[in-house]
Amino acid sequence: METYSNRKIKMTLIYVVLILFAIVNAYPILWMILNSFKTTKEYAVDKLGLPHSLHFQNYIDAWHTANFGEYFWNSIVVSVVAVIITVLFGALAAYFIARFDFKMSKTIYNFFIFGLLVPIHATLVPMFILMSKLGILNTRLSLIFPYVAFNLPITIFLLVSFMRSFPKDIEESAIMDGAGILRIFWAIILPMTRPAIATVVILSFINNWNEFVFALVLINNPKLQTLPLGLQNFAGDHVTNYVAQFAGLTMALVPILIVYLLLEKELVKGMTAGAVKG
Amino acid sequence: MKIDTKAKWGIVLGLGPALLIYIGFAIVPIIISFYYSFMKWDGFSPMQYVGLDNFKELFKDQLFWHSLKNNVYVILASVIGQLSLALLFALLLNRKLKGAKFFRTIGFMPVVLSSVVVSLTWSLIYNSEDGLLNELLRAVGLQSWTQNWLGNEHLAMISVCVTIIWQFIGLYMIIFLAALQNIPREILEAAEIDGATEWSKTWKIILPMMKDTITAALVLAISGSLKTFDQIYVMTSGGPNHATDVSALYMYNKTFQSLQFGYGSAISVFIFIFGLVLILVLNKLIGKSAV
Repeated sequence: METYSNRKIKMTLIYVVLILFAIVNAYPILWMILNSFKTTKEYAVDKLGLPHSLHFQNYIDAWHTANFGEYFWNSIVVSVVAVIITVLFGALAAYFIARFDFKMSKTIYNFFIFGLLVPIHATLVPMFILMSKLGILNTRLSLIFPYVAFNLPITIFLLVSFMRSFPKDIEESAIMDGAGILRIFWAIILPMTRPAIATVVILSFINNWNEFVFALVLINNPKLQTLPLGLQNFAGDHVTNYVAQFAGLTMALVPILIVYLLLEKELVKGMTAGAVKG
Repeated sequence: MKIDTKAKWGIVLGLGPALLIYIGFAIVPIIISFYYSFMKWDGFSPMQYVGLDNFKELFKDQLFWHSLKNNVYVILASVIGQLSLALLFALLLNRKLKGAKFFRTIGFMPVVLSSVVVSLTWSLIYNSEDGLLNELLRAVGLQSWTQNWLGNEHLAMISVCVTIIWQFIGLYMIIFLAALQNIPREILEAAEIDGATEWSKTWKIILPMMKDTITAALVLAISGSLKTFDQIYVMTSGGPNHATDVSALYMYNKTFQSLQFGYGSAISVFIFIFGLVLILVLNKLIGKSAV
């Protein structure tokens, strides 16, 4: 049995370790945000302190010189369209896999799950050639298709396991009432799946929003670049203008941080699902 | 649900769209990758079948092996640095603790950020002149420790690995925490009644019960490490003097800079198979040493 003072020492140690961990995790981000409000001169003499005042000029400069508006818009369009297609097609496929007994059901499910193992890099060269043959290289479509394809496996994995948990008689009573297959999907199954769909929507949105390699290889046109690609180029063009880089990074960071803090539960569930259940 | 003819058509139409996109843009490219790996091709002129020549060249390519060695460093950093720390933090957090939710939230935060944002931020941290790290060292009087963290051939790989560890610790921490919370309370309570200390409880009961989750985390860490690209492309582009080259980056440069599409595909195929073999071996090893 632990004595009272032993326990106190132990808890103090635990807190010290956890607080250190929290500082190491949060400080780089805080440091970046704080410095985004400094003038170049201020940063040159004081890299660690608080900014004297909230100097928004860096943001205005970054927004104007780097087309951040365009990068944001491109990221939003590509991410949102890909998410809608992923969830619509994924939910429909999951419905038939989870709720119907047919011969190929298990095989098709496993075939989709295999996609979790396919490394994106191994598809880069063929993807580049495929897109140029389809004539959609350098268009938003060239990102939307692979984003959908690579988010389908986890989508189907999560939705199938959720839909399988519903009792069997749900559809039976609906059939008695004369409802068709698609009507059952739309009016009964889909609304019941809402919690899992929320997880899938957020997960694939973040995946698309953060994606870099496909955008790097498939998009050359500066007008169509997504945020990660635009940020990378912006940093390359402003190697020594640190405060502008801080402002650009903060702009890219804040929307994701807000999404994360608001929807933490769904996001964490989605990102860890593969390992926790598998 | 029972199937009639109408439902059969429903299945085809329902599965069709998802299957079409998935096959077209995930499966077919992988197959084509294998096909290209037997070709000599610059991407424009006609392809030329060369059999296993690309792979023979690959085995003699010093720079490729060097880049693969760096992948192994990333794997070691992930397994040693990431998984063990994540496990420690998860074990510490798995108790009644004020602020546990706060630590979880802060811990997972880097995982949701884009690799590009993370890498650019860390480039500024490592900056030899004005970076946070050197500035902090100066502030505590360790002037002599300041370094060109990403520009020094001997340090660059370690610096990059630290960033990668930082970015993903939270992911494994949450995975481990979920597994810890699935361990039935009665088992632990019974052990406590028998007088087990926290230390022996952890080693004799908790860790053995987490074996499956730890295996899954290992697989995730290995396959993730083999994919490493974004951080290195952004922070060092493989430099200085190839010190931080990894195989995915080497493949990218061979393909899109040197326009060796066949050779680049051979590298991808090799990494793909290398990863599968590594994971199979791991599963076998762990399966044998049953606790």
